[in-house]
Amino acid sequence: MILSWLVLIPILGLVPLLAVSRSERAVKIVAVAVTLVELAASLVVLASFQVGEAGFQLRESAEWLPSLGIRYELGVDGISVLFLPLTTLLTAISVLYSTKTIKTRVTEFMVAFLLLEVGMVGIFMALDLFLFYVFFELMLVPMYLIIGIWGGQRRIYATMKFVLFTLAGSLLMLVAIVAVYLASGDEGHRTLSLPALIAGRGRFSADFQFWVFLAFGLAFAIKLPMFPFHTWLPDAHVEAPTAGSIILAGILLKAGGYGFLRFALPLFPYGTQAWLPAIILLSVIGILYGAIVSTVQKDLKKLVAYSSVAHMGFVTLGIFVLNLQGAMGAVLQMLNHGIVTGALFLFVGIQYEKTHRRTIADLGGLANRWPLYTTFFMVFTLASLGLPGLNGFVGEFLVLLGTFAFNPPTGLGGFFWGPLAGIGVILAAVYLLWMFQRVMFGPLREAYQKLPDLTPLEVACALPLLVLTVALGVFPQPVIAIIEPSLARILALATDPGVTAAFR
Amino acid sequence: MTDVQGVLPEIIVTLTAMLVLLGESILDRDEGGTWLPVLTATGLVAALVAGPFTMAPTPLFGGFLTVDTFTTFFRDLFIVLALVATAVSPSYLRRRGLPIGEYYALILFSTVGAMTIALASDLITLFLGLELMTIPIYVLAGMQRRDRASNEAALKYFLLGAFSSALLLYGFVWLYGVTGTTDFGGITAALRSAGPASGTTIVALALVTVGLGFKAAVVPFHQWTPDAYDGAPTPATAFMSVAPKAAAFAAILQVFGALAPLQADWTTALALLAVVTMTGGNVVAVAQRNVKRMLAYSSVAHTGYVLAAVAAFRAGDSAVAGVLFYLAAYGLMNLGAFACLLFLDTEGTRGATLTELSGLAKRHPLAGLLLAVFLVSLAGIPPTIGFVAKVFVLQPVLEAGLTWLAVAIALNAALAAFYYLRVVVHVYMYDAEEGAPRLVPSWLLQASLALTAVAVVALGIVPNALYAWALEAAAPLVR
Repeated sequence: MILSWLVLIPILGLVPLLAVSRSERAVKIVAVAVTLVELAASLVVLASFQVGEAGFQLRESAEWLPSLGIRYELGVDGISVLFLPLTTLLTAISVLYSTKTIKTRVTEFMVAFLLLEVGMVGIFMALDLFLFYVFFELMLVPMYLIIGIWGGQRRIYATMKFVLFTLAGSLLMLVAIVAVYLASGDEGHRTLSLPALIAGRGRFSADFQFWVFLAFGLAFAIKLPMFPFHTWLPDAHVEAPTAGSIILAGILLKAGGYGFLRFALPLFPYGTQAWLPAIILLSVIGILYGAIVSTVQKDLKKLVAYSSVAHMGFVTLGIFVLNLQGAMGAVLQMLNHGIVTGALFLFVGIQYEKTHRRTIADLGGLANRWPLYTTFFMVFTLASLGLPGLNGFVGEFLVLLGTFAFNPPTGLGGFFWGPLAGIGVILAAVYLLWMFQRVMFGPLREAYQKLPDLTPLEVACALPLLVLTVALGVFPQPVIAIIEPSLARILALATDPGVTAAFR
Repeated sequence: MTDVQGVLPEIIVTLTAMLVLLGESILDRDEGGTWLPVLTATGLVAALVAGPFTMAPTPLFGGFLTVDTFTTFFRDLFIVLALVATAVSPSYLRRRGLPIGEYYALILFSTVGAMTIALASDLITLFLGLELMTIPIYVLAGMQRRDRASNEAALKYFLLGAFSSALLLYGFVWLYGVTGTTDFGGITAALRSAGPASGTTIVALALVTVGLGFKAAVVPFHQWTPDAYDGAPTPATAFMSVAPKAAAFAAILQVFGALAPLQADWTTALALLAVVTMTGGNVVAVAQRNVKRMLAYSSVAHTGYVLAAVAAFRAGDSAVAGVLFYLAAYGLMNLGAFACLLFLDTEGTRGATLTELSGLAKRHPLAGLLLAVFLVSLAGIPPTIGFVAKVFVLQPVLEAGLTWLAVAIALNAALAAFYYLRVVVHVYMYDAEEGAPRLVPSWLLQASLALTAVAVVALGIVPNALYAWALEAAAPLVR
């Protein structure tokens, strides 16, 4: 039942929240409390997880739409179990930080955030494709409102673009899901349950997999986002309120990468093999393009947003080189990017709250006044550029290792793609350090002389992220141990010798 | 006795309509405004209750009517839609000084017509039902006699409706000429034994398609829709956008079910019409600023989705069940969306423009929320009934091997999301402007719409019972 509680807690939390909706202060307290309870519940899930087992654990299963063989089926494995605490932690931090920054329509904001949390924890637990889709879409409307109501100047344009891009992809995925359902068995024996589908994936012909993978892939590529489907991201990130940016970068983008690993790879090995060259090409383009475009950004928030495009390129690259190092790197990169970029957006937000400027040229010298801020921001910037000893390094390093080991029978191998991706890492150091120098060092502007350093609330928001950044950088082994068995199983499914032989 | 017992709900609704007319002449305006809606609702509920006692294993009235699961599904759907329409109307009618008794009587008569379509097992009864359903709607559209738009709407609707009825009737005549019978079962049998379609059957098929296409507002026969919807009083629009459409599809299912032996000839034609209809409706809806007109075009797009499921008829039960479920879903959410416009006191028959809706969520949080729920459902986003309805349509379409049609539905749904969510943008993300229309939230309107919205969400999460019912209702049609 513990997994169902993760879905239920935010929903049940709406009751006390709406009951006290007359007092803004009470609403904020209830919202923070609900997200903390949810965080605790996700830690219980993590604690009761048996490390070393590859399959799904803590499973729950109940009839939902029996006439269609659709089930309410939840479960976690080594990959998904880590995303749950990440989600709940980032949500708690976002809500906590928003208690200070959101000043209009507080109740609506908190309701939207709790509903968003339902969708987010849901996608990482759903083992039924239909249920996954429902959670996937459930994230859409709250985020649409969060950007559209509490966002910046061009929020309406940004939120519409975000919704339409995501919907276009996910509706095609819906068609594919129904097609998978119809192909899953004879009438009366059809299912959308992931374990059953994997067991019966022999029914999916190579041709079928080619198209269905394309539909799933488009949805995930847009969500991730992968070059050239990324154009919604800078707008959405820049216009979203700080809490929205944190969640968008920290969790929503991961839904794409997670979807590839959870559904596309094990279900459609032929499709994976067929589309792999294209995805690797787009990933490397994304890494380089994201890095180059980040370098020339004038807006601080936009710079961090474009850096996400580059970082997500590493995720798809790592997944689709189809070896354990690469995929492990990809999963770690997703987790670490969630922590680090979430933190970077938090600090850009804090800085903006104080100075009301986001243009890099208008900033400068902030290090003189804000020692605490500078320390935190420095650590996260260095983690983002992949400094060894901090968590960002682990993922990117493993992805690069995996890429060099990538050795397809035809086409360009790891020794072509590896160095190109490596350039991306160097460029990350260039744009991030240059940004840090322009924002933090140099002469301090008159207008910023009186601005205070981090408040205790802001420290409380940032501290857990800082601890994780350092801890996962120094000692990633426990996390790797959790992920490895499940990931190895997925890769074994995706690289079935029979399947790869067909492509020789 | 059994013959009469079988049509008990229809008799109850007809009698109620007459009583309402009588009541209008006895009661004064104030009393009428209070009691006539109550009388209407009572009659409808009584008909709903009588429904289960009418199941008849054999055809009634010499084979003109059949009461089966298909009939009861539609009958209940029409009654529920009429009930919602009854509940949302009173304050508007009173404010506008519209004749209350006539309004409710017309809705009831139209409902009887729609119910007759579901009862029909013969071309003649079907045609009678269609006419009985549409003629009151022409009058409803023109009810505001002093309003020019309303007059234009009624005339346009009437002329095109009469024209399409003539075409349909002509098609029926050809069908009779080909098969020698007007009975659905007989037509199917005759066509089956006749083998592949000849020239004359194709003419009959084409005429019937065009005639029914007009009634259901299939592109390119939809031209009457926006003007008729726009010109009619808003609560009437809410009703006429759903019940006649569901009734038209009941007729389409009955007729094309009888024409099942010719499937090879009509599947592709209907599939193409479906794509043209959904795309045409959506593209034009994007350009609308008046929300009433936008919803009118969007209803054309929804016709396309339903037609896609009809085109997938060869998939069997699931196709017909998909049509039925979608019609029920569409009925609730579209009626709800139109009725939400009743929160605003706009001038004439005109619905609200986007700017007039700006800031609605701040001015009246419940109205904003309700409208948002209905629009999100129309856009097909979970967890609403509009989403499951799309899934139930996609399934038979893919099962029938019409993958391209399924992709067209998906892309259209994304396009449609744009204009639905644009309304939500105005409701939630803009502030109200100077001179925004006065809000007139009657408690009845709020309560009935809140109930409908709860149904829209609840049936989106647990659609089991409704879908099982739709499957059961589909069985008689798949012979």
